[in-house]
Amino acid sequence: MYRTAAKRLLGGGGAFTATRLLRFPKLRSTIIPSYYTSGLCTSSVGGNAESPMGGNQSVNPNQSGHTASSSSTSTGEGPRRDESRKPRAEFQEEQARVLSASLRHVPRLGWTEEAMMAGSRDVGVSPSIVGSFSRKEAALVEFFMDECLQLLMDKIDSGLDLQNLIPSARIAKLIRIRLEMQLPYMSKWPQALSIQAHPLNVATSFKQRAMLVDEVWHAVGDGASDLDWYVKRTILGGVYSTTEIYMLTDDSLEHRDTWAFLDDRVKDAFDLKKSIQEAKYFAQDIGAGVGKSVQGLMNGVMQTMSRRSGGSTF
Amino acid sequence: MALRSVSRRLGSRILNHRSFVASLHSHATSFGFQEVKEEDKSKLVGNVFTNVASSYDIMNDVMSGGLHRLWKERLVGKLSPFAGMKHLDVAGGTGDVAFRIYDAIYSVKRRALQKVDEASLEETQIYVCDINPNMLNVGKQRAAERGLRDNKSLVWVEGNAEALSFDNNSMDGYTIAFGIRNVTHIEKALAEAYRVLKRGGRFLCLELSHVDIPIFKNLYDLYSFQVIPHLGELIAGDKESYQYLVESVRRFPPQEKFASMIADAGFEKVEYENLVGGVVAIHSGIKL
Repeated sequence: MYRTAAKRLLGGGGAFTATRLLRFPKLRSTIIPSYYTSGLCTSSVGGNAESPMGGNQSVNPNQSGHTASSSSTSTGEGPRRDESRKPRAEFQEEQARVLSASLRHVPRLGWTEEAMMAGSRDVGVSPSIVGSFSRKEAALVEFFMDECLQLLMDKIDSGLDLQNLIPSARIAKLIRIRLEMQLPYMSKWPQALSIQAHPLNVATSFKQRAMLVDEVWHAVGDGASDLDWYVKRTILGGVYSTTEIYMLTDDSLEHRDTWAFLDDRVKDAFDLKKSIQEAKYFAQDIGAGVGKSVQGLMNGVMQTMSRRSGGSTF
Repeated sequence: MALRSVSRRLGSRILNHRSFVASLHSHATSFGFQEVKEEDKSKLVGNVFTNVASSYDIMNDVMSGGLHRLWKERLVGKLSPFAGMKHLDVAGGTGDVAFRIYDAIYSVKRRALQKVDEASLEETQIYVCDINPNMLNVGKQRAAERGLRDNKSLVWVEGNAEALSFDNNSMDGYTIAFGIRNVTHIEKALAEAYRVLKRGGRFLCLELSHVDIPIFKNLYDLYSFQVIPHLGELIAGDKESYQYLVESVRRFPPQEKFASMIADAGFEKVEYENLVGGVVAIHSGIKL
């Protein structure tokens, strides 16, 4: 699921996006630029996501070729197999549409059922459908988090100028881009955070943040997959969360204070990394030094004992 | 539908599909463990409920040990009623579910917590439909006791689940609690439910269902066949009706089969939740 592992296994970003797409297929077709849809069509994992959509929805032209082939296969087999898959995808799509329309009402109504009911009315569906979303408000928040992550990935892939920056500046820039997506909802963001912190929702929100952090590190150019991987992501997760919370109470013009805070925290993280490196070397040196002296001591002791006992060789 | 009647007339059992369809209909002609003609079933059911109407609620309490209240709470919780909704409760004669929905929408606590538009509150309509006028009368009486006799939101309608008098795409929600096993043709009732629901509307069915857990199943069977008819005799003075009740539960399709019937009627996201190990199941679906 994580981008680095996925890339290693399947040699392309397509797999990752395909599994993500399974959750909100219809919406991706409206936001994603053509790059992604072609990536989806060519990846092998994408096959599962395609057939339910191909059956009855009219999606953008890039996928029409794939649509034709999948619908011909579906008519060949018994209708039952596709029937069982089509309804699930339809509901997911409907849910995605309703949630997407609900986001417009969030600044006014908060991350609540009211916002979702207003969204459902916009889409032309009875508000009853909101009753069927699992963990209602959490569904809206999680949808938003997914959408932001997808936007971030799009921005990265459509070319950000990252090469000229040092790693710490790259990280700061990416986190800044991501946090700026939340600005329209800033007034209601504390509510979103509390929803994410709810015991029922913690697992999903943690996973989403982990994916976000992984994505940022990947974009920065880190391909490590050893123990360091966890440390890096944990630290970046901490930086992101603290900045997010700082932003809640920041009144400065254009959130200047937040970005300054972010730069400081990223610098601290890198300094921390350097400090840990230095501490490691220092410990090694000491260890070497102590080891030498202990060895010398042991040799001395051995020689003395051998002289005393009359020179039998060891 | 036409194809199914043709296959029945021909008596063809060549394809598995046909026999599967025939077995779906076998419920329609069962009255408990007896086999009856379809025309007779609704009359017989009518008699049952005319007899038990006055002690229906008490018997529910005694038979389920008060649990039926929790089950209905769960049903209404799943529905998540909202102000301004048009809801239809079928076979809801004595109004248990309808009152709960009414309370859920109009509760002061809910109105305080959420921003409820008072105007939309006025638009709320809860229709209670039942085929048996005696049951409806009991319901109206209970409404009067609660001070809701002249309330515009609660509407008591006499009607048949297989042929509802409501318009297409007019309801936000449809519930049927402990009623669908009494319907002669389940598919018709499901089709009618699909018809009256709006796009995005939800179908919820609370019904006694099948228990699979080994020892518990035996205990449940024992309780059903040995205890309940005698309780019926004692409290409602009617042993046969309650014998019919427990038999009709056994003849009703099991959870998975019923879920597939709901899906066949056109509903999406068909799910079911077992309560008390399968004694009761809540099936739900959405019309899209």
